[in-house]
Amino acid sequence: MAAFEPVLTKGIGELDLADIDVYKQHGGFSALEKALKEMTPEAIVGEVSASNLRGRGGAGFPTGKKWSFLPKDGRPRYLVCNCDEAEPGTFKDHMLLRLTPFAIIEGLIISAYAINASHVVMYIRGEFLEGYRIFKRALAAASAAGYLGKDIMGSGFTMELILHRGAGAYICGEETAMLESIEGKRGEPRLKPPFPANAGLYGMPTVVNNVETLCCVPHIINRGAGWFSAIGPPKCPGPKIISVSGNVANPGNYEIPMGISARELLEEYAGGLLPGRRLKAIQPGGGSSAAIFEEDLNVGIDFDSLAAKKTMLGSGGFVVMDDRTCLVRASQTLVRFFEHESCGQCTPCREGGQWVARMVGRLEAGEGSVNDLRVLGVINNTITGTNLCPLGDSIMPFLSSVLRRFPEEFAAHVQQAGCPFQKAPEFSAA
Amino acid sequence: MPIPKGPGVQRSVSPLQPSSHRLVNVIIDGNAVSVPEGTLVVEAAKALGTSVPVYCYHPKMDPVGLCRICLVEIEKMPKLQIACSTRVSEGMVVHTMSERVAEARRGVLEFLLLNHPLDCPICDKGGECDLQDFTMSYGPGASRLNEPKLHKPKAVDLGPTIVLDEERCILCRRCTRFDAEIAQERNLVVVERGHRSLIGTENGGAYTSYFSGNTTEICPVGALTSKPYRFRSRPWDLGHTDSICNQCPVGCNFRIDTRFGRIMRTFTRENTSVDDGWICDRGRYTFNYLYQPSRLRQPLVRRGGEFVAASFDEAIAASAGPLAAAAQTGRVGVIGGGRLSDEEAFSLQRFARQVLHTNNIDHRAGAQRLASPARYQARLEDLDDASLILIFGALTPEQAPILDLRLRRAVARRHAKLLFVGPYRPWFAVPCNYIEYTPGAIGDLMNQLSDVVHHGREEKGDGFVSEIANELVGAEKIIAIHNGRDADAAGALDRLMDTLHQYDHPVGILVVGSQANSRGAEAAGCIPNLSPAYIPVDDPGMTTHQMLTAAAEGKLDALFIAGANPALTYPDGLLVRRALDSVPFLAVAEQLMTETAAVADVVFAASSFAEKSGHLTNLEGRRQAFKAAVEPPVGVFSDLQIFSALASALGREGVIAADADAAFAQLRAAEDLIRRARGGQTSLPRPQTDDVSDLHSGDAVDATHHTLAIIPVPRLYGGGGAAAYDPGVAPMRPEPFAVIHPDDAVRLGLDSGDRVQLSGRGGSIEVEAKIADQAPPGVALVLADMPQAPVNRLLDASGFGSATAQKLRAEERLRGELGSSSVAVGDGYAAAGAGV
Repeated sequence: MAAFEPVLTKGIGELDLADIDVYKQHGGFSALEKALKEMTPEAIVGEVSASNLRGRGGAGFPTGKKWSFLPKDGRPRYLVCNCDEAEPGTFKDHMLLRLTPFAIIEGLIISAYAINASHVVMYIRGEFLEGYRIFKRALAAASAAGYLGKDIMGSGFTMELILHRGAGAYICGEETAMLESIEGKRGEPRLKPPFPANAGLYGMPTVVNNVETLCCVPHIINRGAGWFSAIGPPKCPGPKIISVSGNVANPGNYEIPMGISARELLEEYAGGLLPGRRLKAIQPGGGSSAAIFEEDLNVGIDFDSLAAKKTMLGSGGFVVMDDRTCLVRASQTLVRFFEHESCGQCTPCREGGQWVARMVGRLEAGEGSVNDLRVLGVINNTITGTNLCPLGDSIMPFLSSVLRRFPEEFAAHVQQAGCPFQKAPEFSAA
Repeated sequence: MPIPKGPGVQRSVSPLQPSSHRLVNVIIDGNAVSVPEGTLVVEAAKALGTSVPVYCYHPKMDPVGLCRICLVEIEKMPKLQIACSTRVSEGMVVHTMSERVAEARRGVLEFLLLNHPLDCPICDKGGECDLQDFTMSYGPGASRLNEPKLHKPKAVDLGPTIVLDEERCILCRRCTRFDAEIAQERNLVVVERGHRSLIGTENGGAYTSYFSGNTTEICPVGALTSKPYRFRSRPWDLGHTDSICNQCPVGCNFRIDTRFGRIMRTFTRENTSVDDGWICDRGRYTFNYLYQPSRLRQPLVRRGGEFVAASFDEAIAASAGPLAAAAQTGRVGVIGGGRLSDEEAFSLQRFARQVLHTNNIDHRAGAQRLASPARYQARLEDLDDASLILIFGALTPEQAPILDLRLRRAVARRHAKLLFVGPYRPWFAVPCNYIEYTPGAIGDLMNQLSDVVHHGREEKGDGFVSEIANELVGAEKIIAIHNGRDADAAGALDRLMDTLHQYDHPVGILVVGSQANSRGAEAAGCIPNLSPAYIPVDDPGMTTHQMLTAAAEGKLDALFIAGANPALTYPDGLLVRRALDSVPFLAVAEQLMTETAAVADVVFAASSFAEKSGHLTNLEGRRQAFKAAVEPPVGVFSDLQIFSALASALGREGVIAADADAAFAQLRAAEDLIRRARGGQTSLPRPQTDDVSDLHSGDAVDATHHTLAIIPVPRLYGGGGAAAYDPGVAPMRPEPFAVIHPDDAVRLGLDSGDRVQLSGRGGSIEVEAKIADQAPPGVALVLADMPQAPVNRLLDASGFGSATAQKLRAEERLRGELGSSSVAVGDGYAAAGAGV
């Protein structure tokens, strides 16, 4: 393993970082102090821009650029922290929320100061009950210590943090659907433009940042943009937490320097495949991403390298499937998820999703036809890229990629009128 | 006075308002066009005659980009873009017919049709359905779905007017957005999620909007169908006639669709300046009364106390003698015109003045005195950019719903402020400031405001008077709306507007009358002191109040009433009953056996708005033409024919034109003459009004006993006339009610839902009590003009009254219900039925 010292996960598993005193003893809030006392908001935006930090929520948009889009027209501004992590195969934000909540709070305050937002909304996924309780306690402790509220650390900067729990809709992780949800409406993505930077929460300029993105900010303040951008490829540098799951020896969250190969991640970090198994497919960026295969393992784990392979880093959910996996069944699971979570606004996502889910379900049940295979092969053209938000574009990539790579496996389901694989138990202990 | 905060900044700009006036050059399918920067691609294409298919997009609503049928290819953009929300920029090159676009359209249509029931042969929309049309034009030839379709609820009863088929629904959300953006009511919503989504109501109850019928028109498929039109016709079998709605003074343009000589439905006919493409449900559904047995189909003449059917000539002959005799002595009067066309109103006053030789002509059959402002006549469109809307008296949601839509938009989306001055808390769909003020004192308030505005702004008068004055002075454009009942207040308002006008504030006034064409009747000279086009006469005649008083005192020998029902609508019910009972001869021209017609000596069966042509003048003073869509029944004659025949029988043949074109020519000739004579005079002479002291009965309200002040309030589906007889409107008709303040309810021992008897100077009525603080303490707000509980029994001529309230016990209530079959309408029916 390369000599990389963890940044975001440092101390996790060893220290109780959910205790404010422990967090402070290990350097916590030093970046906040530096930001508030030594830096102007413009300097912070400049530093973050220079670091080339790209959003960790999935789209990989440069954070500094996002901040600098805010119009300077005197309207109130809002910062929203997206902690609605629900992408299948991704569980990094949940870990940060539970194990190092003050890092999120520190990142939030610095970012709010940088963009001059006096109100911050922390949107926590409804299912994260334990994380919510931990964060709420952390919030109380941070308030008691004077890190929130009026005149923070004597800087004159005032900020209020509002906790908002989601109600269990995947779509609310989409930033404009999240804004609707916070406003008390149905969680449905908005038409863009206007973008949140111009007309976001309650019509005001708004920035929505992912938990992990915000956690990077204090380190950039403390150690400088140069240090950050030296980690990994210059265009998408920095540390990145990857949630590895599936058929590997050691599933879990691993913090890597951006750009290491998929092979290194799989073998050095996650302990490789289980004994005697062969790799079949990997989703490198959560349930929405197209699969990569054995021959792609030298690809770098970063935004640009994976995009060149027609897949994506996404939110960093690295799902490994070995030769026991039925790809039809895996596709069915994913498609059913997106079909269920579609908000129903756009026709291709709403109708196409349920149609594909029915076809794949039929294949797996042994009732599929050659016609289904033919339709599944081309329906990508009318579903992907034709919707308002990325959810509709998430339905097909995995299915299309594995159908292209393993057409015989799909055909076998038709020919044998059933699934050739042993049905996995619903809940696996291992 | 708390000023409500405006709603949040709008996320998107109205599609009709491009962001600038700068023109940009765009190429669409190889054709160049210059359009304002910011125009939507779909609108730019329209300018070239290129039609891009749309479902969710509607020009009157914010684009949402949901249905994805309008995807087009724009050069330099890798993905297909939606034409309904992408705005053009300089040099943009758009392809709407490329193979990529065609494939995307086929895909969307295939998706929409996957679970669509394809029940076109029994669908009302078949023939005018966008799903049918676009599938024909752009769709795939066959579906690749080879499994059973998913099913959803069918024939869902959404409310009194709408039936919903969830399977046909393509979830474009035009209806829910109409309810939220245009009606500002937010009751119609999407429930459930994804492909399980359904259209439903936010509160789970019925969809009862006054504008519900519009959703059946904007629905691109057959999901929302209107109950009166369900399974009645196919679109290609319908004949179309351009018409004007005559249910309120807004004058919405609509189309009458007929089949086999019978009206099947009405349909919007967009006039951006008047109705903006919408009509209300009362206007839309009030036409089936024409086909009810209660419709008068031939003249009736009273013989030996009973009505007997008569021929038209017999009815004319029976009227000519008494009218001629009364005209000899000048003891004759004519009431009506406010529900007639401009031509008919003109001919009615001509009949009075040139045939009966009297100036005793008045269109005012209710408490309304004025139908126009003396100056500063506003247009409906002025509401769009008004910054302050000041209302007294008029309850626009109930009296002029389509005007209210404009008002809602101005307040909700353009940050206009709404201020209501009146004797009760009004109900508006948008935030409203309310200043409680007794009716008689509003004129004083206007005068005080004038003073404060005029004599320096630092001079502070009454706390809230100076606050309102500040609002007025701070407003960029002020539109005042009133109901024309309080002539003194209207005069004071004119002066206030003069003052504001001096300070360069654009100002305007709209008068919302209670009759559809009171403005036209006023201008046509159905006023005792004004001949057509507001020319004062030398010897003014009697007002309606004076005529009724004279009749009650035996000083009038004959009364002719055309298209008016004072027995129900005239505030002083006691006076009108005595008058109609006392006058020796009463002739009435009516479509229905109204309370007035029921006590007449001769009743002419008159044709309806759909059976004649003519013009109506709306509250802006805008004259609009309507055309006959169907033939009247045999035995039914137009008012013009009735007036003309009466004139001939009275020896004045040819004075009254019997057809609308000739009468219109006479009216225009009179107006031209007068326009030349009047020159540049801008302020209209005022109609003669009665001395206020004459109108009040002097009955004092004694709050210590069970006495309440009575204020009548309108409701859209309330009142008498056509709406009372129409089965299309019947499901929405309210029961008579009185809103009583909670404090009074305690004092009177009343609960919501109790039956209560209100007894006043002209008798008693029985209504349902509703306990709410919309009514101030000591006041009962009573639903106006209900035939089964006529509130005018409690009122004096001022339009207000008082009554003692008595809770009815169960047995009294039962007796009341048994007895209620013999109230006025029933009487009329029984009499007419016996005669016919």
